[in-house]
Amino acid sequence: MLALIRIFKFALQDIGRNLGLSFMTILILVLMLMSVNTLIIINILTSQAITSVKGQIDVSVFFQPEATDKNIEEIKSYLNAFPEVTEITYLNKDQVLENFKNLHKNNPDIMASLEELGENPLGATLIVKTREPEDYTKIVAALSLPEYENLIEAKTFADSEVAIQKIEKITKQVEKFTAGVSALFALIAFLIIFNTIRVAIYTQRIEISIKKLVGASNWFVRGPYLAESLVFALVAVLFTAVFVGFALKLIDPYLMIVFGGEPVLTNYYLSHIILLTSVQFFGVLLLTMFSSMLAMRKHLRV
Amino acid sequence: MISLKGVSKKYSKDSMGLELVDLQIDPGEFVSVVGQSGTGKTTLVKLIIAEEKPTAGEINVGGWDITKIKSHEVPFLRRQIGVVFQDFKLLPKRTVYENVAFALEVAGETHSRIAEVVPKVLDIVNLKNKGDRYPHQLSGGEQQRVVIARSLVHRPKILVADEPTGNLDAVNTQEVMEILKRINEFGTTILLVTHNKDIVNQLRRRVITLHNGRIIADEKEGKYRL
Repeated sequence: MLALIRIFKFALQDIGRNLGLSFMTILILVLMLMSVNTLIIINILTSQAITSVKGQIDVSVFFQPEATDKNIEEIKSYLNAFPEVTEITYLNKDQVLENFKNLHKNNPDIMASLEELGENPLGATLIVKTREPEDYTKIVAALSLPEYENLIEAKTFADSEVAIQKIEKITKQVEKFTAGVSALFALIAFLIIFNTIRVAIYTQRIEISIKKLVGASNWFVRGPYLAESLVFALVAVLFTAVFVGFALKLIDPYLMIVFGGEPVLTNYYLSHIILLTSVQFFGVLLLTMFSSMLAMRKHLRV
Repeated sequence: MISLKGVSKKYSKDSMGLELVDLQIDPGEFVSVVGQSGTGKTTLVKLIIAEEKPTAGEINVGGWDITKIKSHEVPFLRRQIGVVFQDFKLLPKRTVYENVAFALEVAGETHSRIAEVVPKVLDIVNLKNKGDRYPHQLSGGEQQRVVIARSLVHRPKILVADEPTGNLDAVNTQEVMEILKRINEFGTTILLVTHNKDIVNQLRRRVITLHNGRIIADEKEGKYRL
């Protein structure tokens, strides 16, 4: 325990002596972690965008005004039998007319035409939601039976597949770019840590030779450099965690305007904070330790 | 205490450090090793403290077989051997007390043990009142005495001094030699590597003379003959 405390004491002394280089090392690690966190945020936003797009699309089945409630009920039951269907909303003639009026209340020509007709010209509507966007084509095909031809006036379905594919395509491109930047930062961090330890070994060559001369164990000579790596990793991860937390709090209000509901990013981050920080900590630790070990193997003979 | 049997150390094809050296040093002896530059004196020191491994032969130091010593065992050997070099090897940003304590810190000794040992060894080298000074505030002789104090903290059975007076004037040389003699009186084996004719002749102890990596003379009460 005492040896461990002294190893950390020597490590902190060394960080203090090479403050500029230590700061640069931590900065590069933070930049690397930032790009990794950007990747994570992009993934959350993509899945949120896709869910949002999927939630907004449906098939609307517009019935002829002559279609009876019995006809509509029969078609509703027929559609309910499909496992792909998750929800069917029935709007009767009056509700459809009400919605139509609301939609066109600022258009006096349409409103005047409706007045002139005197009666409700619209039929009832079924709004069908499915599990996946590709299921909609199946539902549209299922409604194209000859016996329904006279009952159904129109079937509309926005082609959301194209929108989703576009989101996924853009996301993949951004992900590739961010992954490349992360890898670049990892490489820079590796080289800087290697150099930091090399410089530390060089500036402390007298201290190292004295340690060896007076009988310090090999691990006591090497320990401070590994402890330095641990300190670098710890400070970088903690700083990034706090910074990302604040950044998400700033971004979330804008996302809530787009997606509505709750602060998606902050909620995700807070509920996964232990997993995210520990995975990032061990990842960075592995990188810094490997780099330090290599520098010691090359420059420190014990 | 120190035994070498048929020891050779070859650095390269044309560079021979030591050649077929046989040597026996008993506990409590004070042995001077003399010879011209490049005759293998420092090689001998490096082999004894396990900084180098011999090309051939067997070396035994305080019960340790240096030829077969493993890397993790070297620190334990070094705690049994005090080493003093010509270039003092003190940490400039640490005080005298801290420099001496450093040897105990790296060996994992407790604070109370350090507080007990450091004043004692500083007393042996007459530096008890200069514990708070930094190396640059001391004379060469005093700096060398700090190094000797540091080498004593583990109560070594052997003290190897490689040109300890090389950078000192006559007065400081005398002081350092007096301390080494006193340490020897406590029972510590001293191996002194030196160029200084006067101190060897004054000591009237065993003298080993090296030439071209070989022992050419080994006298019980010898003199500097080169």
